[in-house]
Amino acid sequence: MIAPQPHAPSAAQPAALRSFEAQWLERQSASKRLDRSTAGDPLSALREEAMGRFLRLGLPTTRDESWRYTNLRRLTAHSFIDAPDVAEESGAAAGSWDLGERLATVHMVNGFAMPPTPRGLNSKDIVINNLRDLSRIDPDLVARLLPPLSDAEGARFALLNTALFTDGLYIKVCGKLATPLVILHTAAAQGPGAIAYPRVIVDAAPGSKATIIEHHVQRGEWTPLCNSATQLALGQDAEIEHYRLFATGSGCTHIDSLDVRQQRASRCRQFTIVLGGALVRASLDAHLIEPGACLESFSLLVGHEERHVDCVNVVTHHAANTRSRQTARAIASGASRVIFNSKVVVETGAVQAESQQSCRGLLLSDSAEIDSRPQLEIHADEVKCAHGATTGRLDPEMLFYMLSRGLDRATAQSLLVYAFLADVLTGMSLSAARAAIEDSLIAQLPDSQLLRRFR
Amino acid sequence: MLLKISDLSARVAGKEILKGINLEVKAGEVHAIMGPNGSGKSTLAQVLAGREDYEVTGGSVTFDGRDLLALPAEERARAGLFLGFQYPVEIPGVNNVYLLKAALNAKRKTAGEPEVDAYEFLALIKQKMKLMQMSETFLTRGVNEGFSGGEKKRNEVLQMLVLEPKLAILDETDSGLDIDALKVVSMGVNSLRDPKRAVVLVTHYQRLLDYIVPDQVHVLSAGRILKSGDRSLALELERRGYDWVMESQVA
Repeated sequence: MIAPQPHAPSAAQPAALRSFEAQWLERQSASKRLDRSTAGDPLSALREEAMGRFLRLGLPTTRDESWRYTNLRRLTAHSFIDAPDVAEESGAAAGSWDLGERLATVHMVNGFAMPPTPRGLNSKDIVINNLRDLSRIDPDLVARLLPPLSDAEGARFALLNTALFTDGLYIKVCGKLATPLVILHTAAAQGPGAIAYPRVIVDAAPGSKATIIEHHVQRGEWTPLCNSATQLALGQDAEIEHYRLFATGSGCTHIDSLDVRQQRASRCRQFTIVLGGALVRASLDAHLIEPGACLESFSLLVGHEERHVDCVNVVTHHAANTRSRQTARAIASGASRVIFNSKVVVETGAVQAESQQSCRGLLLSDSAEIDSRPQLEIHADEVKCAHGATTGRLDPEMLFYMLSRGLDRATAQSLLVYAFLADVLTGMSLSAARAAIEDSLIAQLPDSQLLRRFR
Repeated sequence: MLLKISDLSARVAGKEILKGINLEVKAGEVHAIMGPNGSGKSTLAQVLAGREDYEVTGGSVTFDGRDLLALPAEERARAGLFLGFQYPVEIPGVNNVYLLKAALNAKRKTAGEPEVDAYEFLALIKQKMKLMQMSETFLTRGVNEGFSGGEKKRNEVLQMLVLEPKLAILDETDSGLDIDALKVVSMGVNSLRDPKRAVVLVTHYQRLLDYIVPDQVHVLSAGRILKSGDRSLALELERRGYDWVMESQVA
């Protein structure tokens, strides 16, 4: 095996890139020290390939199509070290909410999985392993589970995660899970300049069913840059409802890559909810691989104060009779900026594919900004694709109607904001999650204490 | 005098629509304002309710002893003025009952009363819905969401019955109603008739006045009240048309 040195670090490169290379080299020498032979190990080969691709692509700039609204220059001027493995420490994280006792929770801190497997789950229906052990015991399996590497410009950080993750969760859903599973991701650093690589692999066997909630929170003042990656693989007829909820504090930068692959007649409902963080980039790369696969994606993006939220969805229909529906609601107040880019690609042969994209934006201040771009790329005949995007302010007719009934302006506005989000909230089949998300959401809206009374 | 409008003029989008309206409404009375399309009837109703993008350019309005034009829309409502909209807006996602409860509590708060008890409120609203012959599914729906024209009008009257305003201005509440719905809506309005309250009906047709008998009828045309009279004026208008009033003015 060739010594993995894809490029010599150069002073001309951003500090971040050099530090990622340093992390890579450190992991290589660590495995040598442990005298672990990586020869012929498909996982090591895959990671090396991922690192090579990442370095070839380099860090994104606003010249890249999918990064044109998000400038990482300030971020990438810094160098990063691994966030601490503080998994043994427990303690409540700020921003975590009580989803009720009916849920099973597994904890991850900075991407390091905390034992043990949560109670309340039937081991016949679900198997949970940490990736640190699994990568050592069965690297072939892990390599097989990871999605094919992509050269897409939007996939950079997923490549970096694949190259550098050291732990994470492998969740095999075998049966129909009655209890929703919460993955509580806690970000906690001891100072600035740390990076975490949380990795989650969900493998849903044919005919299985589960609700999985990834909840990102922080503990303490400092958070690492979080470069997380999750993949959902749905076997035939599998049914997954997945939530990713970003509820970290105003200092946290989060880049999350979600990869979804769906086999025949599988159904995925995916909710992306951004309520926290300073800069949140949430991408969804979904592939409807076999006929009858169906994806519903809901995005609820709340820009607040100085927050920057960039949500990028790419949904590719590979097979006939596949269906996708994307519903996004963006709200921007203060000096925040919210971006929702969605793209549907219908490949040759994906006849009778149906797709819908709907994005509505609501601007609550003069200095806030919302950019939304639905795109379509169709290579097949006989498809039904619709898209629409609108952004505006609160409807003056609705406002006047409510004022004319005696409601004060603040209450009327809050009710309208809440109503604007109703399409996404009512799509949630998990009432506990809905209630908790409503609570977190309402807390960030203007005049939240008023709104709470009207739920 | 519950409502006194003196020489009121107003502009909409730069265009003078009301050109000196004078009208007095006493408690206990029902007035009908009739007139051809574009005469300013709806503008008058919206100006009285406090619509901000309608600019008052002259005149004054006192309501229950207060300077109405100085109050924002929400305070006018809390002071006891109610506008039944000609085209009630749909507000998907805001529940009918939430809105109505918020409205009632806003009014009670102004009057120094405690918030309405949840069970009492539900009982009240169910009783009024029964009177308006509305299905209970209304309780779970968004404000006017997916309602037919007739359902929207019933909902306006329902809101009026719950809020019990001192002055109800009903802007073409009869339009788009079939005869059965018209009877129900009229019954609702009549149930509110009371020596302490007044109703102003803005309408196109005399048909409504068969069911809600007015004390006075006014003909509005080109932003002015051209003629006032008792109920017989409405009947005459139906027979002879609005042109008759306009011609008789000229002559």
